[in-house]
Amino acid sequence: MSVNPDAVGAAFFDELRRHYSDDEIVELGAFIGFNLGFHTFFGTLKFYPLFSPDGRLVSQAESEKLYGAAPVSLGKTAAAE
Amino acid sequence: MTYIAPLPKDAIADPELRALMAEAEALGVPDDLFPRILARAPEQAAPLMRALIMSHAQGNVDHRLKEIMRILLARFADDKYFASLRSAKARAMGLTEQRIDDGCFAYEDDAKGFTAAEKCALRYADLMFLDANQLDKSFYDEMKQHWSEAQIMELGAFIAFHYGMQMFMRSIGA
Repeated sequence: MSVNPDAVGAAFFDELRRHYSDDEIVELGAFIGFNLGFHTFFGTLKFYPLFSPDGRLVSQAESEKLYGAAPVSLGKTAAAE
Repeated sequence: MTYIAPLPKDAIADPELRALMAEAEALGVPDDLFPRILARAPEQAAPLMRALIMSHAQGNVDHRLKEIMRILLARFADDKYFASLRSAKARAMGLTEQRIDDGCFAYEDDAKGFTAAEKCALRYADLMFLDANQLDKSFYDEMKQHWSEAQIMELGAFIAFHYGMQMFMRSIGA
């Protein structure tokens, strides 16, 4: 929906319907749309996670040093450990 | 025909959602297709409709400017559904199709008469999904010359939410 919306067509919906009901597809689509918009907006505001990967409450300055310009998700960090 | 069939209007029993649909019908944005599709996810339908209407028609930024921004975003999203809708409130306030087109395609042209504040807000909508990297500190510093931080949050959330719902409607073939 974000990277290649033209790929979300009838054939894609046919595949989705093999796994999800129409009601679930609406729930997923609205969820994706909401997050697509707000993650882009929040990304422009330059704020960082409140917690370090090991769970410490950190300042924005320290968080910026920890996560940098391309934050690695906590899930990915935890999986790597 | 959308990939997901909307529910029949009379199948929607939630009184809050029905009230929001009536409010939207009077405003003209959205028409009943959007809530009839959303109603398939009943827990989300009313909150999303409320946010859509409130962010568009209420707040502390000129509704006519937000209407131009909404249409600019829908055209960029290639969402024919939301791009075709018009706010009756904005029209009653004097917004014309010519002004909408000027705001979408030529707002930087001084001859079109947009204020510096309006240009900045339209640039905000224009760049958010075209090149968000340009929405940096210097851009926000410029925004703050014209808008309060509360208004900037109002505009940013409005842009994010409406674009997201436009991409959703595009994805289902509306």
